[in-house]
Amino acid sequence: MLFDQAVDIPEIFKSERVSVTLIEGKARYNLRVKAADVTAFKKSTGLKLPSKIGSSSLSKVVSCLKLGPDEWLVIANSTQQKKLDKVFEKASKDFICSITDISHRNIGFEVSGELAAKLINVGCPLDLSLTAFPVGKVTRTIFESAQIMLLRTGEDSFHVECWRSFAPYLRDYFKRVMTTRY
Amino acid sequence: MFEIHCPYCNEKRAEIEFSYAGEAHIVRPNAKQQPVMSDEDWSRYMFIRDNIRGEHAERWWHNAGCNMFFNAIRNTVTDKFVMTYKMGSPRRTAKQIDVARETNTADKAKT
Ligand SMILES: [Zn+2]
Repeated sequence: MLFDQAVDIPEIFKSERVSVTLIEGKARYNLRVKAADVTAFKKSTGLKLPSKIGSSSLSKVVSCLKLGPDEWLVIANSTQQKKLDKVFEKASKDFICSITDISHRNIGFEVSGELAAKLINVGCPLDLSLTAFPVGKVTRTIFESAQIMLLRTGEDSFHVECWRSFAPYLRDYFKRVMTTRY
Repeated sequence: MFEIHCPYCNEKRAEIEFSYAGEAHIVRPNAKQQPVMSDEDWSRYMFIRDNIRGEHAERWWHNAGCNMFFNAIRNTVTDKFVMTYKMGSPRRTAKQIDVARETNTADKAKT
């Protein structure tokens, strides 16, 4: 990979009750599709685009996250990239839409363990109780002063995504909290 | 810090996720008007604002959230938000603002 900024992130921080892992090998796309085209777009691409802001359709292969009224983030295994590139190439001809490959723009962390929500709450004021932020909920928000995307993948696990250049900042912040508290 | 209700996310979110974006309901001159507008007309459109003391219709941007602009009625003296509503919907009337204010007070009394 040519983008070596932030690649020196060690893969894992682990303590008994919480761990932070770098998520590798993902293809990411940002989609902007007009409301009137969504149904046809879903049919054409076969993607399960959720309709409510903040909701997601999660799978091991391709996950679709709705971030805004007409905006989705698609995160897939990198093995799917060639196939998705083709699907999107066709869709971009059939629809007036915006599809941007942001695979290398973002870095993902998995934060998991019984203290995962607590660790995130050190830098983020969202209510992360299971009622207010259930499994599958996603949103863009702020962690300390960096913009992140936060997705709950399980009761005790989160996917935190940020721009590549913000990743060392997040890594060091997680590390500082973990070494001083847990 | 306080929370602002985003009409697109339909959730109250922390103030730090939002940016203020100036007075609301200022209509950009259309393509026909633009060529015949004087410098004075332009300066009025670009720079002249009401700067009112009290309940002010203004734009906010949920930039660290759904990334949408929306409108809000906020009291510039107390910093209290009376209501927020989606971009493109008409300016709220004094009566609608009164109703929203009373509902807020009633909701607050309940909790
Ligand atoms: Zn929002």
